[in-house]
Amino acid sequence: MSSARVNMRPSSKNTLLKVVILGDGRVGKSCLMNRFVSNQFDEHSFHTIGVEFLNKDLNLDDCTYTLQIWDTAGQERFRTLRTPFYRGSDICMLTYAIDDKSTFSNLQMWKNEFLYYADIKENTPFPFIVVGNKSDLSSTEREVSQVEMETWCNENGITSYIETSAKDANNVQEAFRMAVRQWIKLETRADKNEIPFNDTVDLKTKHVEGRTSCCIGSGDE
Amino acid sequence: MLNSFRSQLEVYKINKSNDNKNNNGTPQVVPRIRRRSLPRNNFRGVKKEEMQRQTSMYLAYMTIDELYSEILYEILHNVGCDLSCEIGHTALFSYIQDAFHVSNEYHQTQLNAAEDREAPKILLNVEVMEAKDLAPKDSNGLSDPFVTLYLSSNLSRKYNTSVKECTLSPVWEEHFALPLTENVTDDSLCIEVWDFDPAESVKEKFGKIFDVKGVKGVRKLMKEIAVTAAHGQHENELIGKARVPLKTIPAAGMTMWYTLEKKNKDSRQGILKVRLSYSSKKNTLVAEQEHRHLLRILLLHELEKSKVAPHWWCGSFSQQGEAIITQHIIQSGLTPIESAICQWAIFTKVHRNHALSFVLFSNILDKLIKPLQSNNTISPEDTRLFWESTKNLLPYCFSVIRKIKKKQADKVLVKNVNEVLTIISKLLMLDVPNGFDLFPETLYPWISNREERSDFSIKSILIDAIIVSASGWFDYIVENNNKSDSNEIAKLQFVSQIMNLVRCDVQKAVEFFDKIFQQKVGIAYAKELYVCYQQKFSEVAQEIVENMCKSLKKLNFTGNTLNEESHKEPLAEGMKLFELYLGIKRFVLLGKGICPVDCDSFYINNFYKWFHGGVAQWLEIAVYKAQQRIEKAVELDELIPVDASVKYSSSAVDTLSIYYTVKVFWQQLSWPDVEGCYTFIAKMIDDICRCGVFYAQRMSQRVDGMGEIENVYENRFEVTNEWCLAINNIEYVSQALKPFTTELGMTEVIEKMTDLKSPLEAQRCQQTLNNVIDNAIDTVNNEIIELLETVISKMAPAMKRLLIEGAELFNQDSNSVDRLMMYVDTNLSTLNRELNEENFNRVIFMVWEQLTKILIDIIETNLEKRRPPSFYANLHKTLNLMLGSFKTSDETTCDGLSQTEEILRIYGLETNDLIHQVHLDLYDEYKKLNESPYGILTARAKFQGNNLHIEILNAKILIAMDSNGLCDTFVRVHIMPEEKFRNHEQPKTKTHNKNLVPLFDETFELTLTDEQRFMDNGLLLFSVKDKDLLGYNNKHVGEAFIHFKDIPDTEDPLSSLPQVHLELARPTNLDAITIKALEHRQGEKLAKEFLKKFKQRMGTNQPRISM
Repeated sequence: MSSARVNMRPSSKNTLLKVVILGDGRVGKSCLMNRFVSNQFDEHSFHTIGVEFLNKDLNLDDCTYTLQIWDTAGQERFRTLRTPFYRGSDICMLTYAIDDKSTFSNLQMWKNEFLYYADIKENTPFPFIVVGNKSDLSSTEREVSQVEMETWCNENGITSYIETSAKDANNVQEAFRMAVRQWIKLETRADKNEIPFNDTVDLKTKHVEGRTSCCIGSGDE
Repeated sequence: MLNSFRSQLEVYKINKSNDNKNNNGTPQVVPRIRRRSLPRNNFRGVKKEEMQRQTSMYLAYMTIDELYSEILYEILHNVGCDLSCEIGHTALFSYIQDAFHVSNEYHQTQLNAAEDREAPKILLNVEVMEAKDLAPKDSNGLSDPFVTLYLSSNLSRKYNTSVKECTLSPVWEEHFALPLTENVTDDSLCIEVWDFDPAESVKEKFGKIFDVKGVKGVRKLMKEIAVTAAHGQHENELIGKARVPLKTIPAAGMTMWYTLEKKNKDSRQGILKVRLSYSSKKNTLVAEQEHRHLLRILLLHELEKSKVAPHWWCGSFSQQGEAIITQHIIQSGLTPIESAICQWAIFTKVHRNHALSFVLFSNILDKLIKPLQSNNTISPEDTRLFWESTKNLLPYCFSVIRKIKKKQADKVLVKNVNEVLTIISKLLMLDVPNGFDLFPETLYPWISNREERSDFSIKSILIDAIIVSASGWFDYIVENNNKSDSNEIAKLQFVSQIMNLVRCDVQKAVEFFDKIFQQKVGIAYAKELYVCYQQKFSEVAQEIVENMCKSLKKLNFTGNTLNEESHKEPLAEGMKLFELYLGIKRFVLLGKGICPVDCDSFYINNFYKWFHGGVAQWLEIAVYKAQQRIEKAVELDELIPVDASVKYSSSAVDTLSIYYTVKVFWQQLSWPDVEGCYTFIAKMIDDICRCGVFYAQRMSQRVDGMGEIENVYENRFEVTNEWCLAINNIEYVSQALKPFTTELGMTEVIEKMTDLKSPLEAQRCQQTLNNVIDNAIDTVNNEIIELLETVISKMAPAMKRLLIEGAELFNQDSNSVDRLMMYVDTNLSTLNRELNEENFNRVIFMVWEQLTKILIDIIETNLEKRRPPSFYANLHKTLNLMLGSFKTSDETTCDGLSQTEEILRIYGLETNDLIHQVHLDLYDEYKKLNESPYGILTARAKFQGNNLHIEILNAKILIAMDSNGLCDTFVRVHIMPEEKFRNHEQPKTKTHNKNLVPLFDETFELTLTDEQRFMDNGLLLFSVKDKDLLGYNNKHVGEAFIHFKDIPDTEDPLSSLPQVHLELARPTNLDAITIKALEHRQGEKLAKEFLKKFKQRMGTNQPRISM
């Protein structure tokens, strides 16, 4: 993990993406992150204090992305501690637990809190991804159906959503990949807007590579 | 003050004239003072009868005329040695006439009346206190002394003290009152000390023989025995005597040691301490009342005359006044305690209209405390009077305490407070009589919780006074500073202002008053204030701060636009809020100093919670400001090293100092909550990283465009020192990240977290912080890499151009190769000189990478142009030259480079060489084969001198090539490189038809030239063919190689050598670089034909499938 990274000084520049994971306490944000980064799962993990941070390289379409993942504390008392970290995010992962309706209902609050503190201008598309965790639970325990989730996402203009299980390592990698893809999609669209005469866009390759040289600045946006 | 005092005197005069009218003949003045004094005694707890008795007594005895007359009388009969001699009667008369405001006529009448009165009965009070060094009179070396007193005018009346046995320093402390006779001036007091000698028998005396001390003692005892024996009776023996002329005794009395003398004896017989004073026999109550009136009149008179400032008069009357008062005390027989009580009563009363010095009261109290503490010394009337008067004085004392805030803390105020507290401290030593209401509601409306309050002690009320005044003052400053229609910033300013005022007040209290309060009355003054303020301040501030923190205006800035204007308001808000935070923090610290024990319970200690939302804003502001300063620092950077020993420039140093201002901010904040601390540190590290990236970007913008050389010949980029400095600067800033994080107190926070939570959670936090730091460093290093890449990519065009030029100009002109070498060399030396090793290694790596890219690019673009092999050979040569010059030994080159080098080498080969290379590659490839699908050929070969002997023995497990499942096989041997062996016919065996195991058993011998014999990489290619019927379309069965180096050079016959079994193979790979290169040379016949044959050799039929 991190100790390895220090010695592994990158000799060429990576695309850095800041990812924030939001959601109510106990939906399994830290577990998602730990599963994704170190492929570990701890059944009895603590509440996150304020924030946690890990980074992980992810290869997608011949391009390496370094995800800087900020896992936040869901408890209300940590609100003033976590909100400062929203600014400069590239991707926002909204999480809930499929066995807890209230965590799903709170997605709207989390989305609004994020938009407010991350300083995202209204009507600007932002790469959100909605993640319903604990998909390993039996259907009797489920309180939020996939249809409900899709409906909510459609209403909120979010096109990336997935159900995961940090416990069974199900869809976790996919969730992060999906998030990065969503980011790429919006970035290329943003590029397209900047260069209006170039209206044929190959979504997959060329523009992504083109982005690597300038996406470093996104840390300050 | 003086004005009111005068008006009071006028009232007094008017009353006097009114009284005059009511009276015929003798003017009868009943001054108002006395009337007022009557209800004064009307306090609770006194029996009605007693009250009435007193009233009647005052009415009977007291008029101002009588008092005046009494005073005149006393002046006439002054006693004591001092005053009457110095101040003549006349002066006193005139003084008293002034003070009482009486006419000459009236004065004369009264004087005459006084002269007619009998002389007063004055007593001489004698206290025999102690004696020392008395001469021993008894045989035991001691005496049994007693004292005898008498006046020389009256020898018949003698007074004796008790006998103190067996001592030479007796203590008596006995009081005597000797009535004085008319002739005071000539009279004197005689004091005699005697040794008491009880009647003892001779036998008893002898019994004492064992107590006798020394020879002298024996002689004395013998004398005593003799006397006793002779007279049969006792006889006291005089030790010594003293005579005190009455005129030497001052009116105010004195205490003296007198030397005892004895007739006929020169030596001292001892010394005796005696207190002497005058007094008279008068009714005490009357005398006291008289004395009070006198004091009042004289004091008012003197105050008016001297026009002394308030709080200034501290008990000194004029000489005349003093004389009259002293005389009155003596002649009225007032004790010092009684006179002190009179003073207390009058001075406290006068104080109401004309403030007197508090020291005065304090001094009087000194005289009264002891008597008041002991129950019987002071009469109940006087005790009551004392407390009534105290009740008068106390409001003034409290007023001083309550007004501390309204005045400047100067010496005068401190002195006043000190004096007042001295008074209170003395009063605290006394018990207020049961049921006495010292703090009536009319005088003390401010006392809190009067109904429920049980503690009405002076101390508790004093604390109340402190708190009430503090609270009142707080409300006052709140009201005065609050503006109703104020905006957010003004509200903050208001709270800050209150905080500052309150803190100053507490500091003032600590500096000036706290010690006094503690010492004098045992009250922690500053603490009382602090407790009161912290509560009240919290009430005012909490809501404002919390609302403010909820509605802070956001600071909108991205990394590239730092627009001061649009951030003015959020900045100002944030700064004000922080000022307030610091203010309260100082206040809390102050509180911890003042109340180290119970400070934890204070509400204000949790003040930081109000600011929760503010910290994020402060951090944002810190970043914003840091970025502003960084921008400025980069702008001002002249890009020269700050000194000769370092390789970074001013903006790097500036940026570090900007980091340190963030650290200072953090230290100032000293956030008490551990979880918050941890999170904020994470945020700050991330922020500092943002600043680092920002700096890197600004730095690279700053140097962009530098080193571009444009002239008529070329456009070229040269690495300049500025570029290197920019890189070093970012490196310097990046390296500061780690130490910076340590200085944020990360370790301490983690330690605290361990205590607060669990070691495991703390460890996780630590891990997160480490990750954040590593990530921050990586992110900034990413910027370094980007800048390095920029530098190298800027070098690329020149490198490319020079490479192409060099390649085109063939070997005859190596000038451009030199130029390329020089260009790279110059820039690399600059980089090597200026950059640290790590970054230089990165550069080298990138240079090779870049070079690879350029070369690949050149190759790709030139393939179409059909460049001759020499073009590539030149490039290859140049590359090797560069590798030789610039490559550092231990470094691993990128794969791309060695690949490219290989491509160049191959592209640079002439076609023949290229073809031979194909075969060499095949030789290598075939060597690795294990099992052949095509069959095995057995052969052997040897050199003998320059002769090459080849024997082809047989073939087996051949693949069937013909439709009949068999082969018509022959073997041809190619000696390679073919063009070098053109003079030899290729050995070829006979054809063995329809046979999969042909036995050839043919030998060939070729005589080679020396050159041919020792050819490097010479190869024998055994090509096994299936003969076509017509011989035009022979099929390739398979092939195998024997390398020259594997052929033994021997004299032995071939038959003695081991057989070599060759696995037959076919070429498979058309993608090899060599083949590709040949394909690009299709224009050449040689290449074209080779490729055609090569493809034939690959064959088309599948192995092991029979037709």
